[in-house]
Formats: sequence, C-alpha cells, structure tokens
Amino acid sequence: MLDFDVISPKTSHELFEVISNSQDKNYRFGAGYTDLINDLNNNLQQNLTVINLAKLNDNNFKAININENGVQIGALVTATQLLENNIIQNNYPVLWEATNSVASGQIRASATIGGNVCQASPSGDMSCALVALKAVCEIIDSKGNIREENISDFFRGVKKTSLKKNEILRSIFVPINISKNIKSGYIKVGTRNSMEIAIASIAYHFQKDEQNNVIDAGYAIGAVAPTIVFTKDACDFILGKNINSLNETDVKQFANLIKKYAKPISDIRASAWYREEVLINLSETILK
Amino acid sequence: MYNMVEINFIINGSKMTKRIKPSTLLVDFIRDDLKLKGTKVGCMEGECGACTIIIDGTAINSCMYLAININGKNVTTIEGLGTVEKPLDLVQEKMIAHGAIQCGFCTSGVVMTTKAFSEKCKNEDKIPTRDEVKKSLEGHLCRCTGYIKIIDAAEAVYKKQ
Repeated sequence: MLDFDVISPKTSHELFEVISNSQDKNYRFGAGYTDLINDLNNNLQQNLTVINLAKLNDNNFKAININENGVQIGALVTATQLLENNIIQNNYPVLWEATNSVASGQIRASATIGGNVCQASPSGDMSCALVALKAVCEIIDSKGNIREENISDFFRGVKKTSLKKNEILRSIFVPINISKNIKSGYIKVGTRNSMEIAIASIAYHFQKDEQNNVIDAGYAIGAVAPTIVFTKDACDFILGKNINSLNETDVKQFANLIKKYAKPISDIRASAWYREEVLINLSETILK
Repeated sequence: MYNMVEINFIINGSKMTKRIKPSTLLVDFIRDDLKLKGTKVGCMEGECGACTIIIDGTAINSCMYLAININGKNVTTIEGLGTVEKPLDLVQEKMIAHGAIQCGFCTSGVVMTTKAFSEKCKNEDKIPTRDEVKKSLEGHLCRCTGYIKIIDAAEAVYKKQ
C-alpha cells in the first residue's frame, strides 16, 4: 500500500522553499504520476515525501512560449498539450511524432515532457526527439539560480541525470529551425503499435537549403545504449550533402557511423543483435 | 500516518468534500471511499485502461492519479453516464447494439474513453477515421471481444452524433 506525505506548492516561491526544507529528506517530484506511481508501487519506500507539482501555478513550468530564438516548453506541459500545439506539429514533426507514440491517450493526457526527460529512460520517446533537436534543459535550484545544459549532457546513464538534489528541471528549449525545408520524423520499433516501449528508435531532424543540401543535422538513437545518444559523427558526415540523392556508399557510411554509438543489451524485449540490425536498417531506410 | 487532506470536487454532477490520506490513489478513492464500483482495477500500471474515468473532459487512468489532485475538478465515472434507472448514454447504447461487451470488465473504461473522445470530436465537428478510432482506444485491453466490435461501436457513436 502506498504511504507517503504530499506537499503541494502553488507558486515557484513555495516550491523553492519546499525543496530547501526537504534537503535532508527522501523526496520525489510528482508531475503526471504515470511513472512515479509505478515506481513507488514496485519499490515501496519509507518516509517518502512527494513534492506534488500538479498544483503549481507558474507559467515558466506550465506554458509553451515561442520567441525569436525557438520554443521554450515548460516541464509540466503534458504530451497531449504538445500534440495540440500547431507550432510543434508544423516545425518539429520529430517531436510531434515521438509524443504521439507515447503509451496511450490516457497516459499522454497526464504525462509531462519534464517527467519524460527526468526519467532518463534510454527508450524515452519525447526525450529521443529532443536530443535530435539539440534541446537545452533549463534547470533551476532552490535559490533561484538557473543553469542551462544540452540535453545530451543532461543524461548521465540509465535513469540518471545531472540534476542535483536542490535542483529541478523548469523547461526545455528547442532552437528555431534555420530553414523551412525540413525532413523530420520519429520511428519506433516494437512488437506492436500501442502502449509500446521501443526495441530501438530513431529521431531525425534534417534542415536543408533550397537545393536539398543538409545545412543542419540532428539524429538521435534510443533504446540501444544506456542513454539516448546524439550521433554526432553521422550528423557531421551528412552535412552539406544532398539528402535526396545520396549514393549507396554514403548511406552505408552514414549507418556505420551510427552503429558506432550503439551499445545495445539483450533483455526481455529484444536481443542486442536484433536491436542493432533494426537500428542499421532504420537508419538506411530514412535516407533511401 | 500523514496529515489528512481536504478535497472539494464534483463527482457525477454532485459537489462533495472529503478528507483523505495524501497518498490515496484515485481509483481506490472512487471504489473504496465513494463506493462507485463501476470503475475497475485491472493492471494498476496504466496498461489496461479498466480504471479509466473522465476529469474535466479528459480520459485518464485513475490508477496513476493521486486523489488529492481532483481538488477543484469535475470527475465523471461510469455511474455518471446512463444507468438502468436513467436513459443510457449514446456510447453505452452503441456498445450494446454492437455486442461489444462480453465479460464486461474492460467496458466501463472503454465507454469513458469513447465518451471523452466523442465530446472532443463533437466540439471540433469532425468524424474520426477508423484508424483514429483505433488510436483513441490504444490504452485499453479487452480479452474477450477481439476489439472489432468495440471499434464498430465507437465508430457508430461518432457517426450518430
């Protein structure tokens, strides 16, 4: 039976106070609760305090703000809110598709983008898209100090992030596209279509000039290493190339550069060998 | 034991105030405190959808929701739609008409999701495609019907309204 205390701050001032006062306590943040409750059901904890973010009324955490540099997505924005946002759908198909592939409608209605990122699951869907988009995490501590960190650096291992105990993820910044000519999407492979946790996933976001030469490349792979990985060498390789007329050698080379980043494991969902095969085939497919 | 928390909410159209343990899950609150047993406990991990209810127009899994977070909100369970005493909701009618119920365990959840989605479609004045209907039901498991009849029933709702 779950048994924990809950504190529900309503303003960021109250939130910082609660975090400050809880430094010697065992606490967890609760936002959408779609991961936390499963976690707590599976690992009952004594003397736990949940800092309930559901009542927090602060737009830095809750809103999607658009400015000339990009889109600032509050950590408490739900998957459903993202899906209903036209700017996300039109400019960042990779993020929209990844979000649409999260679990089910009921879960998307509660689950937050910040929760997806802070869970730091190697198979996190929204997180994978954010890595491809070179998103930046905005982290705030209980004194109100803000630091920014590239999302690839924010992930430190399976379920590990760079967050310190007195810090919280406030929002995620996605830089504006430098071109309207994009090739962007998310592919997740599992054993069925619904409620799936990826065996392997790829998130790609290529920006092209008018001749279809790549001027900016983002490519991330999920569920094939302890963290979601930005495949920098593959991205560098494809820069300047015409993505619509790549030859066979280029496609193979691109896939090989991606393979280098994969360190898959065998588990209940798939073998390491299978995960790698899927990853290579997906990577080649999107360029053909 | 932690301090009890007072919550004010609307359940199936009636205002209510209760004092509850802060870690109470909504599904347990609905079934054990409010004695509304139509909401079912299935997997308790968000996979099966049997515990689906509607909060402020949105279908959610009540097994992964803290009861204290319904404070100030409008909650609808299957008992808030039609019952044998009052006329059935269109969703319930179509479920029956299409034979979409066998053992009935998943039914209240399926009905609540379909109800929420049908209201959304009505507001947007659109009739969803069969694929969209399937997608809307992805958070439900049914081990009896093979889903076809459930999807048929849901489609009939969207066409009728």
